[in-house]
Amino acid sequence: MALILILLPIVAGCALFLLPRTDRTISRVTGCAVAAITFLLPLIAGGGGTFAARWLSRPFTASLHWSWGGPAFWIVLLLALCTFCAVLATNMAQTRTMVALLLLLEGTMMGVFMARDILAFALFWDLMLIPPFFALVGWGEHRDTAWRYLIYNFSGGLLLLLSTAAFGVLYGSTDVIGTSHQLVGEWAPWIFAGFAVAFAVKTPLFPVHTWMPATYSDTPPVMVSVVSSVQSKAGLFGFLVIGLPFFANAMGEWKWLFIVLSLISLLYGAFIALMQTDAKRIVAYSSLSHLGLIVLAIFSQNPIAIQGAFIYIVAHALFSAALFLVLGYIEEREDTRSLVRLGGLGKVNPKLAGAFTIAALAALGLPGLAGFVGEIVILTGVFKNGFFWPALIALVPIVLASAYMLRLLQDIINGPERADIPERRDLTWIEGLAVAPLLAALVILGVYPHAVLSAAATVAAPTGSVQVSSTFRRHEALGAPTLALGGAEFRTERLLK
Amino acid sequence: MHESLLPVALVNYISLSLVIFLIGVAGVVLRRNPLVMLMSIELMWNAANLLFLTFARVWLNNAGHIFAFLVITVAAAEAAIGLAIVVVVFRARQNVDVDEVAILKG
Amino acid sequence: MSNHIMGVPGSYPILFVIWLVPLLGAVLCWAFGPQLKRFAGVLGSAAIGISFIAALVAWGIATQTSGAQTGAQQPLFTWLQGFDFGLLLDPLSLIWVFIITGVGFLIHLYSVGYMWNDNAVARFFAYLNFFVFAMLTLVLSDNFVGLLVGWGLVGLASYFLIGFWFFKPSAVAAARKAFVINVVGDVGIMFAIFIIVTKAGSIRFADVFANPHALDPWLFWTCVFLFIGAAAKSAQLPLHTWLPDAMEGPTPVSALIHAATMVTAGVYLVARCAPLWSASQDAQTLVGTVGALTALAGALLGLAQWDIKRILAYSTMSQIGYMIMGVGVGAFSAGVAHFFTHAFFKACLFLGSGIIIHELADEQDIRLMGGMRKRTPVAFWAMGAAVLAIIGFPGFAGYFSKDQVIFGALEHGYVWMWAVGLLTAGITAYYMLRLFFVTFLGSYRGEMNPADVGIQTQVAASAATIAHETHEPHAEDHAHAPAWIMAVPVAILGFFSFAAGYIMIGPGSPWAQFFDRSFPHETLPPATISEGVTTGLAVLMLVIGGAIAYQRYATRQALADAPARLKRESETLPAILVRLYYWDDLIELLVVRPSQRLGEFFGRWFDPHFVDGVVREVVLTNRFLGTLVRSFQTGLLRAYALIIVFGAACFAVYYALEGALR
Repeated sequence: MALILILLPIVAGCALFLLPRTDRTISRVTGCAVAAITFLLPLIAGGGGTFAARWLSRPFTASLHWSWGGPAFWIVLLLALCTFCAVLATNMAQTRTMVALLLLLEGTMMGVFMARDILAFALFWDLMLIPPFFALVGWGEHRDTAWRYLIYNFSGGLLLLLSTAAFGVLYGSTDVIGTSHQLVGEWAPWIFAGFAVAFAVKTPLFPVHTWMPATYSDTPPVMVSVVSSVQSKAGLFGFLVIGLPFFANAMGEWKWLFIVLSLISLLYGAFIALMQTDAKRIVAYSSLSHLGLIVLAIFSQNPIAIQGAFIYIVAHALFSAALFLVLGYIEEREDTRSLVRLGGLGKVNPKLAGAFTIAALAALGLPGLAGFVGEIVILTGVFKNGFFWPALIALVPIVLASAYMLRLLQDIINGPERADIPERRDLTWIEGLAVAPLLAALVILGVYPHAVLSAAATVAAPTGSVQVSSTFRRHEALGAPTLALGGAEFRTERLLK
Repeated sequence: MHESLLPVALVNYISLSLVIFLIGVAGVVLRRNPLVMLMSIELMWNAANLLFLTFARVWLNNAGHIFAFLVITVAAAEAAIGLAIVVVVFRARQNVDVDEVAILKG
Repeated sequence: MSNHIMGVPGSYPILFVIWLVPLLGAVLCWAFGPQLKRFAGVLGSAAIGISFIAALVAWGIATQTSGAQTGAQQPLFTWLQGFDFGLLLDPLSLIWVFIITGVGFLIHLYSVGYMWNDNAVARFFAYLNFFVFAMLTLVLSDNFVGLLVGWGLVGLASYFLIGFWFFKPSAVAAARKAFVINVVGDVGIMFAIFIIVTKAGSIRFADVFANPHALDPWLFWTCVFLFIGAAAKSAQLPLHTWLPDAMEGPTPVSALIHAATMVTAGVYLVARCAPLWSASQDAQTLVGTVGALTALAGALLGLAQWDIKRILAYSTMSQIGYMIMGVGVGAFSAGVAHFFTHAFFKACLFLGSGIIIHELADEQDIRLMGGMRKRTPVAFWAMGAAVLAIIGFPGFAGYFSKDQVIFGALEHGYVWMWAVGLLTAGITAYYMLRLFFVTFLGSYRGEMNPADVGIQTQVAASAATIAHETHEPHAEDHAHAPAWIMAVPVAILGFFSFAAGYIMIGPGSPWAQFFDRSFPHETLPPATISEGVTTGLAVLMLVIGGAIAYQRYATRQALADAPARLKRESETLPAILVRLYYWDDLIELLVVRPSQRLGEFFGRWFDPHFVDGVVREVVLTNRFLGTLVRSFQTGLLRAYALIIVFGAACFAVYYALEGALR
């Protein structure tokens, strides 16, 4: 079952290349249908879709193993939803090619998020770089950006592969996602470091973020809406399903480094976003800031914060996808995304302004929308684990977020109408339909986040520890659960204890 | 070792193979005509084949024969691709001097 | 002091009517705006009216008691595990609900007339109804997170309504400023919630207040962070600067949000958290101090303004300072009483000034008014009552409530706040009567050259152009709504400005009984100065302030040379007041500019040249290595062959030597 989610988009994406170059309708309908199927299938079939086949037996066991159960479930739905919206919003000179790339992106990312084997995870980790790379080659303003994106992330992928190999050799198997054993010993922090660098590049985290602003502003909006909303979550997801269950101790050792980096990301991104004039760059730097918050949550290792991280992953995906789609509409109409040139769109484009407003408000953490839920739950958890100053410092970017998001919003839709901007037509119903699900999800998640949170409860907790320092043989779980950090219990009942 | 199974001394086979091989090397390094270079490569393959067969006999081991067949197969494939390249280059440039065709310069 | 604000749990459908009908109104106005046109105003008003009637019906359940519990508590749903949402209607929230829906209804009605010619009337009522819904969420919530949600949503509604005329750059800037400053407050409350969740383990008021000392040693800081929220929302020092700018919104909005309800949310928060404040003496002192200083600072700023709405804005700031001082020092019911009366007279003042502004086609400078008594008699009489109320004229509503606050400060041992309160009362009397006299008495100055009354021509010109260029909705101004739509609400509010105080006379008054169980009771040592003396002093201050105002603006002679006097005064106002204590400039200098510089430094220099510079160094190193290696790739086939032969020869020689040496 799980294989369908990976293969269907990939096969459909490849098949679209058979269509004539100029096709629009067929490819969009196909793309929407495929995305809808991948959305509905897990929803209807429920938790258990799994595919498993033995891949390697030496030097360690590895399987081609995917499942949409557990923590992957919501991300899979999210990915399908974002792809659906992106395909629906695709309306450009080479619609066929773009839709095909979007489907390929969806399929490869499904392979990452549903992976139950770290080797399969690493394989698809690299594969998912390819569609955005071609999108950048085909549509980007600078050829360099494409290479920068690819090489940056590929370097991360290389470290991921190395760490995976080390993990496999020491632990005996990579078919482990969804289970949990505490890896301890002298090697564990270094294996984790490899994973962490790969994840940090992908997220991105200061100081390895410099691929991101260029990529986000150069990639076509429909593609970047998926890349920023879901692909950037792969690193965070990796922290959640590989880092926490296996390297809680190692994470504890690197804790302060990452907390400081995440705080720097939070402030740094927010300050830069304050002064950019390129609308997409503002959102790009705001992503740097927002995702820093999730890294902070993960490294605080508090169960509440981790639940908050889950919500915020979903929330950020929704609002960044919506923001990029809306900015795409604006750019398509006005042929610019400079705040200096834009202005006064709200008067004749009320629907566009409304959609933009909701997305921006969610991004600045308005209570009642999804972003707020994530923020408050994350920071409650962070504070609860005794990180007083990080929690206090992390509040500053929230204020800054309201400043830069309102600047973005108001400079584009408010103010007097600009005479030098030619075409102003409001959203067509298809364009509206493409952002509506995202906005609706933001409201629902903001009002009633409980449902999504239960997914967080399924992140496996370490049930034992495994010594990996001096032996190449797999050990069974030893001794009592390792709860030294207090962050190892991920059950929801413990929220307020 | 069953040198007695050979009609002449082993060293003769090795020497002959070495000579053929060196002729092939010389052909590749010294000639500028790709067709001649391909033929020289063929010579090197066959020098290797000769040794394979010789030692298959000496060691009473059929792996040498099998490898000789493999080499012949690969050589055939290589010749086909090589000739194809030569033809394409000739079409493009009307000139197949390998010193003139240096488009892979870094 | 246990559980005294926890409501009796149960199922109370009426709460949903109060709470959700305004939301329904907002959704309908928003969805069917083009079809509804002016009818949107009727729909919006009706929604608030229904909500108000429901609140009246709910009186019984709000005041019911069962054991230690008062009011009604309706569980809603689990927002997150451990975060249960619910509604709570007890006497304190009931008072706010009455004001929000009651005064809100009158203001909605008034807005029908005020916005008669605006093209976006449906949008206006959608926002206004949404505001009422958000405010009700704030006051009906039974937990801190729900309160924070309402807190954020009223901020949003305020943002929308300040920036309602979004084609006007000044309105847009004011909206952004208000929102950002309010987010500072939201963030403060958020931090308080972190402490509360960590220490008390629950977000429900009832659980937290049952044992305030569970928050120790963070109790004081919880109060401080909560108060940051209250200060931002209620325009207290040092977060007050957004309120005067917020007057960019339509006048009914100023009346509803920036005078009667939203800005008093801070008072609500402190009153709601009375058990926390009662448990922390330091927090009481802090909040009382901020309140007293704000009362004084706002009144002083009111002296130097000429824009009618800005004068009222500073008076709002000052009056809320009184309320905050009252609830801060522990005189909770006095602070709430002042909120109650203030809602009437301040809404009345704003709506009355709205009538004048309408009459004069968007002129807001009182120097260009004068003689409005004849042109807008309703405004004259109603605002007269309201001015008497706000200055605390004996017998009017403000007299009773303000007295309680000032005396409350004394009772709780803060003599200097008592003195500041009295001083501020005198200043208030002066500047409010000045507003009243200059606006209504004498002759109309609107046809005069603005320079003759002291208006800087440059400013006047720009203000006029903005007014004419951007108020296009008012362009076809002369199809006025029926006059009664605007007059009736103002008259009703004027009446209550007079009458609302009579329920709160003396310790056994209905008001005191109503709140009997809401606030912690403390036994206080008798005050050194009696309440009678306090009242006497307050009236004395009022008389002094009023007399000065009368002498300067209302005597026959003063009226005769009013333009000259106004001109002279405009020129001699102290700069520190005109520039608002330089507070905006200071914030600009210390917060805004550094943030922007930092953003520019990071964005233009540090990120591309330093962080990315390191990356580029790596790239350049690789490129250099590449050029080194490239020289081997000659492209000459025979050279490659020679290298291969050479390599093979090396191997051969190596093995030959190895064999030979063995």
